[in-house]
Amino acid sequence: MEDAAAPARRRSDRARAVPLLAIAALGVCALAFDVTLPLRLPGDADHAEAAAALRVRAGPRDAVQLWPPWAERARMFIRTLPVRTEEDLRAADYPDVERLWLLAMPRVPFARLSRARAALRERGAIAGEEMRFGGLSLQPWDLRGPRVLSFITDPREEHEVDYVPRQCMQVRIGPPTDAGTLEARGLGGVLHVRAGIVGERAYQVARGPVRVEVQIDGAPLATLTVPPTVPPEPGWRRIEVAAPSGEHAFAFRVSARDADRPFCLAAWTTAP
Amino acid sequence: MTRRLPLALAALTFAALFATQSGVGFVRDEGYYFEAARSYEQWVLLLLRAPAAALRDTGRYWSLNFEHPGLAKLLFALSHLVFTTWLGWLPDALAFRLPAFAFGALLTYWLAMLAAQRSRAAAVFAPALFWGAERTFFHGHLACFDVPICALTVGVGVAWARAIGILESSPSTVTPPSTPTPPRRSLFFGFLFGCALAVKHNAWLLPAVLLVHALLLPAELRRRALRTLPWLLLGPIVLFAAWPLLWHDPVRHLSDWVSFHTHHVHYAWYYFGRELRGPPFPIFYPLVLLALVLPLPQVTLFAAAGAKLLWDFAHRALSPLRLLELGLAGAAILPFMLRTTPIFGGIKHWLAFVALLAPEAAHLLAGAAGLASQAGLPRARALGIAAAAALLPGLWQIAHVHPYGTSAYGELAGGVPGAASLGMQRQYWSNNVTAVLPWLNAHAPRGARVFFHEVNPESYRAYQQAGMLRADIQYASGPWDAQYAALQWHREFRDREPETWNAFGTRTPATGFYLDETPQVVVYARPGLPGAP
Repeated sequence: MEDAAAPARRRSDRARAVPLLAIAALGVCALAFDVTLPLRLPGDADHAEAAAALRVRAGPRDAVQLWPPWAERARMFIRTLPVRTEEDLRAADYPDVERLWLLAMPRVPFARLSRARAALRERGAIAGEEMRFGGLSLQPWDLRGPRVLSFITDPREEHEVDYVPRQCMQVRIGPPTDAGTLEARGLGGVLHVRAGIVGERAYQVARGPVRVEVQIDGAPLATLTVPPTVPPEPGWRRIEVAAPSGEHAFAFRVSARDADRPFCLAAWTTAP
Repeated sequence: MTRRLPLALAALTFAALFATQSGVGFVRDEGYYFEAARSYEQWVLLLLRAPAAALRDTGRYWSLNFEHPGLAKLLFALSHLVFTTWLGWLPDALAFRLPAFAFGALLTYWLAMLAAQRSRAAAVFAPALFWGAERTFFHGHLACFDVPICALTVGVGVAWARAIGILESSPSTVTPPSTPTPPRRSLFFGFLFGCALAVKHNAWLLPAVLLVHALLLPAELRRRALRTLPWLLLGPIVLFAAWPLLWHDPVRHLSDWVSFHTHHVHYAWYYFGRELRGPPFPIFYPLVLLALVLPLPQVTLFAAAGAKLLWDFAHRALSPLRLLELGLAGAAILPFMLRTTPIFGGIKHWLAFVALLAPEAAHLLAGAAGLASQAGLPRARALGIAAAAALLPGLWQIAHVHPYGTSAYGELAGGVPGAASLGMQRQYWSNNVTAVLPWLNAHAPRGARVFFHEVNPESYRAYQQAGMLRADIQYASGPWDAQYAALQWHREFRDREPETWNAFGTRTPATGFYLDETPQVVVYARPGLPGAP
């Protein structure tokens, strides 16, 4: 006959299996994650379908924003419109882009697609209907940004600032007595100027700031100072300044004590 | 337990590393070490032909890669001399790497010896837990110093434990403290310490660890340990003998060696969305990185092992051998928690921390199986479940990611794509370029100029010598100078891609190597060239 302590003994015996069960559960969870991860990622066919959808639906003033920004395999497939990899969608410039297509991998770990969408909403963008292509999500966003009147700098040239490719032109930095100069003609309105130091030299604090003097028809209009980047402060600096309407000659004079740095500048005007 | 099981496991390790090495690219440092080994091989040949000239001319042959001692590179050179130059059995790179596989096998042997003091199952689990992750497995293949110094750290620990009588082939035959230490054991201990010094400077920390260990031992053991410590003086003699660069003007060369490491550059390193460029680094950086790159079961078991050792230390319940493991593990990782030590290179600089925790982790795993068998589960089945649960995720990681070991991330990071989203270092050392070499070989026209980005000229030449890259393909110094560009994705080198777009006039890659969707190596071709989109 079973004694009174037997059930407790059995429970105690069973408890001895708990550490192994815990390890087994851990192993199963880890393996389940590993094995299913590829199923959460898009395949070539998904990319091709998304690219085809963009070919059919996108207009001349559309662009694609990848999310997460590292998801650049899409560049292999999207050849009909500009691809952007901005990291801060709330503050990013999308000059002359009316509609932004957010191409995302929603099932990638830590993708945080909801944050990207929230950032777009915060800047006043309006979401369109989302499409799914396997592991890819494609959603148009009407940016409702101001209309570009003139690109003062060529938007086809790109350089990296703050680890993000920027549509900007490389300008020589000169010493204060012989500043590097970029000159172009364009329409007045709200002048947007962006500038930053390219590459790792942006983070070398001892090199000091770069000064950009903006002139319109030979007269000073504004000054933008680009200090060495000390995160979390951005290295891609910006000013907005009103320029009188009509066509003007714009000049940007770039100078610094230490001129041995690649420097990049973007400027465009929008309707007030 | 006899040494048969550790030897069998060591042989298995050697065979596994040998069988899986072909796809492993030549990492940046290997390029330098290959070149150094070639130079040292010439010196060995001169030594055989004209010993006096060789003794006189050490500086000419050994100045190359003066910043690391000579032993590992001398072994790479001797292996190449025997298996390639003389016998013609092995291609160059494989011959250089052969001693690295031997160090990997030695590491397995010593880990099994340590863990065998707990149980036979632990002796099998310990090396399996260490090697069962792509990061560690990858490093086992390289003609570098990280696995060799890891192996020798464990080896010195084992030799010390044997010399002071706390580790025997059979746990039941531990030498009583009153018995004098056999001199050959002390001699071997001193010799092995010298070998460690002659491989990498990490070994200079070992005497302090062993001294503290000796002082914490019970009185009789302490006396024996303190009597054994002076054998460490053999170390510098072995270092001197194994590094002919020191044979002339040793003070200057030693000074150059020390100076190189005390003024070591801090490479930019991507960590949780920010580039770490210099001190102070996050204090828990090495532990967090281990948690993110290793498979989840290993992370848990190693964490439990560390916690158990610390708990038992705090409660004065550590055996002398476990105390030694804790001390050596701590010494392997603590320098990287000072916040000022360079932290680049993934986990490779503190591999010995993982290795020294492996015996305890293996013991905990075997213990869990043992407890379950007490609850009625057949012992063999319990061990099988333990092994499968602990090792299968790591084996999957190896099968999925190898040979791209510097890109591997575990489940806590969300795998490779999760780590990219978290803002972790994507890769380093440029070896992932092997994934696109077949494409370049197939598409690049004869004499094409290719910008290989992070691949240094030494590794580029090694790829050509190994037949992995066509001999006519030329090394371009930048996109402006190239027809093709193979860009390795690094946060700190993001400027190179737009630079390539501007130079080539295209933003569409011709091909690329994408690991779980993450860009690793992106290839661009100038429009109109074969393979261009």
